[in-house]
Amino acid sequence: MLNLGVMASRVLVRYVRSLARPSARLCPVNVTVRAAAAPLPLNQRSFSLLSCSQRTRQTDQTRVPGSLVQLSRQYGDLPPLTLESIKDRVMYVLKLYDKVNPETILVTSHFIKDLGLDSLDQVEIIMAMEDEFGFEIPDSEAEKLMTPDEIVQYIADKKDVYE
Amino acid sequence: MASSRIPPVTLSLKQFLQRQKVLGLYRSMLRTIRQVPNEQDRKYLRDWAREEFKRNKGATEQDAIRMMVTQANMHLQDLQKSLALARS
Repeated sequence: MLNLGVMASRVLVRYVRSLARPSARLCPVNVTVRAAAAPLPLNQRSFSLLSCSQRTRQTDQTRVPGSLVQLSRQYGDLPPLTLESIKDRVMYVLKLYDKVNPETILVTSHFIKDLGLDSLDQVEIIMAMEDEFGFEIPDSEAEKLMTPDEIVQYIADKKDVYE
Repeated sequence: MASSRIPPVTLSLKQFLQRQKVLGLYRSMLRTIRQVPNEQDRKYLRDWAREEFKRNKGATEQDAIRMMVTQANMHLQDLQKSLALARS
């Protein structure tokens, strides 16, 4: 391999010299030199082509994620939640619930003690909240949420909303 | 706040576990019903489940409650099976 490389470089040197002084060389010699030197530039060219394509692939790969990030940003654009808007939506859902009197409900009223609901109603309310906000509340958390205020706080925690 | 979670009549451990089971069942029932594609069917099933649970919420006999839980489980499995069939 090494010998071949040395030979090829020698041939190349001769070829370059012959190019530099074309008039000093005879035609047949020129032809043989050119034939011997031909493989090297060809190899070089193919190698450079390969490296070129690799380079372009790399730049493609680095470019694609950037555009994806921008796209998903545009598609996932919801109005940002605030504590106020969460509270409004929670109260809206509660007022639509048929067993709750819309006039008497407060942010701090306890579902079972103050509003006279039972644990089944509380389950239904939590399910309605899941529908409204589009995520699931695990059972262990769901049974602890007993006032609208706690629900608002829980959702704000889950959605990373702070004052 | 901690005392407010204890119901007025304190339950024994067994009753408490049964209560949790029933509530969990109700929750999974509603979750399953939520997957029903038709709007009217969904409302009908939701009302049905609600009615059944509310009708028997005063039950105190443990064996009776256990039987109802078993029955509800069977209904739930039926519902899940038909939903899976409808989707396939």
